[in-house]
Amino acid sequence: MNVESIFPKAHIPYGTWGASYFPAWQSSPLAEVNIGQFAGEAMAYIMGKRKVPMNSLDYLVSGSTIPWHWKFWGSPFLASCAGQRVPGYHLEQACATGLKAIFAAAGAVQGGLANVSGVLTFDRTSDSPVGVFPERRSYERTVALSDVWDNFGFDPATGGAMIATAGNAARKHKIDRKEVDELTFLRYKQYFQALDSGFLAKVLVPLEVLNLQGKVMGKIDSDAGVRSISLEALHSQRELDTCVTSGTQTHASDGMATMLVTTKEKARELSSQPDIDIQIIGLVEARALPSLMAEAPAMAVKKLLQQTGLTMNDIAVVKDHNPFAVNDAIFAKELNYDWHNMNKTGCPLVWGHPQGPTLTRLSIEALQETVDLGGGYALVFGCAAGDVGIAGIFKVSEGGKA
Amino acid sequence: MIKSMRQSTLETIGLGSVHSIFSKGKLPVNAAEQVDKVFGPVGNRGSLVISGANGIVGAGKLMQFGSRLKDYNIPIVALDFPGAPDGITPQYKGLASSFGKKNADEIMANVIRLNYDGNNLPSLLKSLNPKFLLEAIPEILNVKKAHFELFRSNFPGIEIRSVTSGFPSKELGVGIYHPAFPHQINKIWEVVENEPSEITKLLWALGMIPMAVSDEWSFVLDVLFCGLMVSALRYNRATNIPFWKIDKYIRKFFGPNPFRAHDVIGAKGANFLTWNCLHDLSTKYGDLFAPTEALVEHKDSGQNWYPLNHLRPMVNTTIDAAGSMQFNIWILGSLFQMTSLMIHEKRSHFSIMNSVGELCAQFRKGTLALMRNMGAEQSKRIVEAYHKLHPEAALNAWHPEALDNLDSNDWKQLYVNAEHDGEVGVITLGREAYNDDVNAELNRAIDWLKAENIHKVILTGDFHLTTQLVGADTNEFFPALDHHNIGYRISYQWSKTARRLYHEFETSVAFINGKRCLGGMLELFQHCHYIVTDDDSDLGAPEVNLPVVPGMEMCHLPFRRTGSDNWAKLIKLLLEGRSVKGKDTVGWLTDYSAQGEAAIKMAWELASKGELAMPKRKIHESSLYIPSFYPTAPTENKNILEARKAIMDTILASCGANYHEALKVQSECSAKFMTSDLCRKGFVGQEAEKTMNV
Ligand SMILES: NC(=O)c1ccc[n+]([C@@H]2O[C@H](COP(=O)([O-])OP(=O)(O)OC[C@H]3O[C@@H](n4cnc5c(N)ncnc54)[C@H](O)[C@@H]3O)[C@@H](O)[C@H]2O)c1
Repeated sequence: MNVESIFPKAHIPYGTWGASYFPAWQSSPLAEVNIGQFAGEAMAYIMGKRKVPMNSLDYLVSGSTIPWHWKFWGSPFLASCAGQRVPGYHLEQACATGLKAIFAAAGAVQGGLANVSGVLTFDRTSDSPVGVFPERRSYERTVALSDVWDNFGFDPATGGAMIATAGNAARKHKIDRKEVDELTFLRYKQYFQALDSGFLAKVLVPLEVLNLQGKVMGKIDSDAGVRSISLEALHSQRELDTCVTSGTQTHASDGMATMLVTTKEKARELSSQPDIDIQIIGLVEARALPSLMAEAPAMAVKKLLQQTGLTMNDIAVVKDHNPFAVNDAIFAKELNYDWHNMNKTGCPLVWGHPQGPTLTRLSIEALQETVDLGGGYALVFGCAAGDVGIAGIFKVSEGGKA
Repeated sequence: MIKSMRQSTLETIGLGSVHSIFSKGKLPVNAAEQVDKVFGPVGNRGSLVISGANGIVGAGKLMQFGSRLKDYNIPIVALDFPGAPDGITPQYKGLASSFGKKNADEIMANVIRLNYDGNNLPSLLKSLNPKFLLEAIPEILNVKKAHFELFRSNFPGIEIRSVTSGFPSKELGVGIYHPAFPHQINKIWEVVENEPSEITKLLWALGMIPMAVSDEWSFVLDVLFCGLMVSALRYNRATNIPFWKIDKYIRKFFGPNPFRAHDVIGAKGANFLTWNCLHDLSTKYGDLFAPTEALVEHKDSGQNWYPLNHLRPMVNTTIDAAGSMQFNIWILGSLFQMTSLMIHEKRSHFSIMNSVGELCAQFRKGTLALMRNMGAEQSKRIVEAYHKLHPEAALNAWHPEALDNLDSNDWKQLYVNAEHDGEVGVITLGREAYNDDVNAELNRAIDWLKAENIHKVILTGDFHLTTQLVGADTNEFFPALDHHNIGYRISYQWSKTARRLYHEFETSVAFINGKRCLGGMLELFQHCHYIVTDDDSDLGAPEVNLPVVPGMEMCHLPFRRTGSDNWAKLIKLLLEGRSVKGKDTVGWLTDYSAQGEAAIKMAWELASKGELAMPKRKIHESSLYIPSFYPTAPTENKNILEARKAIMDTILASCGANYHEALKVQSECSAKFMTSDLCRKGFVGQEAEKTMNV
């Protein structure tokens, strides 16, 4: 089956990507940095490791969701931090950001806005800012909002908390707690296998963080905070909502991820393996009924398959951004897909949830895994605040084994 | 007939050999006579005009000439546009702190500020009888040429020199004095003239360092300085490693920090000048010099290379072993190619080309020394490896044959030369700090003189590239902080070399002039049969302040050559680290002291007549008993007290041994101290940490 790309001119040069590890909230020096500046500098470093001169970029699409110092300056500032003064723009759509940014860069290349567009996503949940908003009609008159935690706890459109969207969907789809625990247990196993096999080291880049004096303040060289967990432990955890325990939901973390989108010729020039061709096939978004976020990803995938004419049998690698394990279970049930076959190199349920870069890292892992398998379609999808589901498909040329 | 290992650099500015200074008993020229020649005799003195006097170069050079010409009452006209921001007044503070308020006021009293519109010279100028114009206006060819024309038509006989960064003399139609930053204090000028002029000789007589270079687009310094910058920029382009970090690696491996240097000089001006120089060079020599996009961006914007303070770097970049190979190839490959080009074009005396890198561009070792030490084959391989990374550079301006003659003395004696007249030899040191290179070259110079059957020798600075001798190059000690055997080797080998001066010549005379002779250099000189000093030179052993333990036999040799009544002075010198004037050292540290030419004459007399002129102070070879207590200036500083103790222990141990054993004893003490915590906490340790720990 051959499916046309929605951005036929846009290609992803194999290997010109990378992400930081995602240390858990408040567990690393990332808690102490301006994450925008950090992400920009880290991008230059990662591209250097991948032998991509930053001056081959002429555009930068960036994405993050948590306000950071100097966010006003957006992509141009981030590009300066990466040592390359190019224009671009910043986008933000909760956890959809990391995938939307890749497609936005592809759109920029397709539309002729960019020849080589960088994608740079990042977030720091640690020490997240508190915004002070004059709200005359609220009884407090002025509202102080802790960006990460207060937003998780309250969707202004529905009045509900994030966690409720998982519980509601689990009840609607009659998901069994035991299955969710087993699924979670497998996800941890998959992550540690990927770690031990060296797979993660192919896509994640250890970084050293400097203090003001220029001395190394610490290393970001693991998904700090991830610990293996037994099935018994998972079973024994208190249910916070239907099928949601502290073990079966993700945790907040910090990090960044970056990649490139460019033309076919330039992709060949920039990649260490020019024969591997990677294209972007399609992207859809869907929105579930209020407070049913966990079923939105499955809705998006169905719509995308319909649009592209592909079936799950055509897909080589499946990756779900699953802040709740329930998401995977609903997806599997709705698409009649065996959840054992997906998220094979780890997933946000395990390595955490820094929002902006999550789906970028997941996409990078998906592409690397697809290349390792010798090519095929990679499906990357997930949920995002507002009961949104987003799904995208990439195609890696056959035979391009790295 | 004087025979020499290689040409002395002094000859390249028309001042003859160093040997003839001694044989004639006088310096080739003196300042008072040169002032008369350039500005006319007293009563009919003309003036010096510096145009662009409010600029970075103009104001700096105004201060430098002002202070050096003060005693001759030469009016110095500071010429600029009426609206030009005042660059002179801010210099006054530095002048006063260097020379004292009274002198600074007197210097400024000779400065006459005149303004003009650029087209009509101020009528007042005529009455000041301009004799010499030092032009320091912006780097625009036509503007400069029109400026010269204006002066020539008004003052037909005037001598003109341009400070241009890179226009050749043949384009400008005047001679060139290209100065090195920082302009108030840097004494070096690259000089382009058909023949060394009287003004150039005046610069020398005033204690500056004119260096003859050939007439090309951009001179030696800028090829090296801008060349290093563009090499670093290309490395940045290939790796994304940020400028500040590349600076640290360049400093670690080679010495300079090119990006910082641009920011310090003033990024706006420096970026432009570097771009301009590279642009001209690349027009002529191709891609080896082509400015990168980042340089164009920084030229156009004038922005600094280091991040703003609020954007201090966050992500570390380290270069691993493979990476440092790459780094060396990018940087050295390109620098070696540039050097090959300059050698091919005979742009200057080799020692000058090498020293310009060290003295003006902060290279720890000049590029010629680096190439020579690496060997021709390896150097060529580095350039070829660089061409694989940057193939366009290979198309032009690569002259591997420049490396064919590494066995010649031009290459082998970059720092040390020897001359003789068949009877008396002179060994000249052209580097202010002693290092392994100087040590090896000194050995070769001694070998050469012996092979030439010369048994009498004077050891001295080179009267040109060295204006003082500061001691050991502490960079050489960095590895000794961790490795006792390295410290031992340095101390032992350098001392062995020094001993040759005593044992392998019938007569050896150390001649000290210039501002100072300190530390390792003073130790070296102690090994000569006679030590002659200028009255005004400062002699000292500042090791205690670093601290290190003197390792070229200062801790016992002078004790063996003077009576016990003088030991207190030696101990004071070694333990307090304060210098003494040459005139106060006779009998215990030196044999003779006099003013200027009288000292030169005595050095010659001693070298040629030996004991007929003065008995030698013999070395007491068996062990000496030195009392362990001598009064020293009190100090509360624990580190100094501890260092004093280490030096005193070395004195006791090395004097307590016989002269032969003492060599090893003092080497051992010196090496041991180098691995101590105290040394690591001190200057050497801190410099090593700053430089090497990237
Ligand atoms: N900046 C350096 O470190 C450096 C080093 C070596 C050589 N140079 C050379 O020195 C020269 C001056 O450079 P700068 O950095 O000092 O520049 P600058 O801009 O600091 O100073 C130039 C000065 O010249 C004045 N001026 C302009 N036109 C004039 C004219 N027709 N007559 C008299 N004054 C005039 C300006 O008002 C200004 O005060 C250039 O040729 C440059 O290439 C500079």
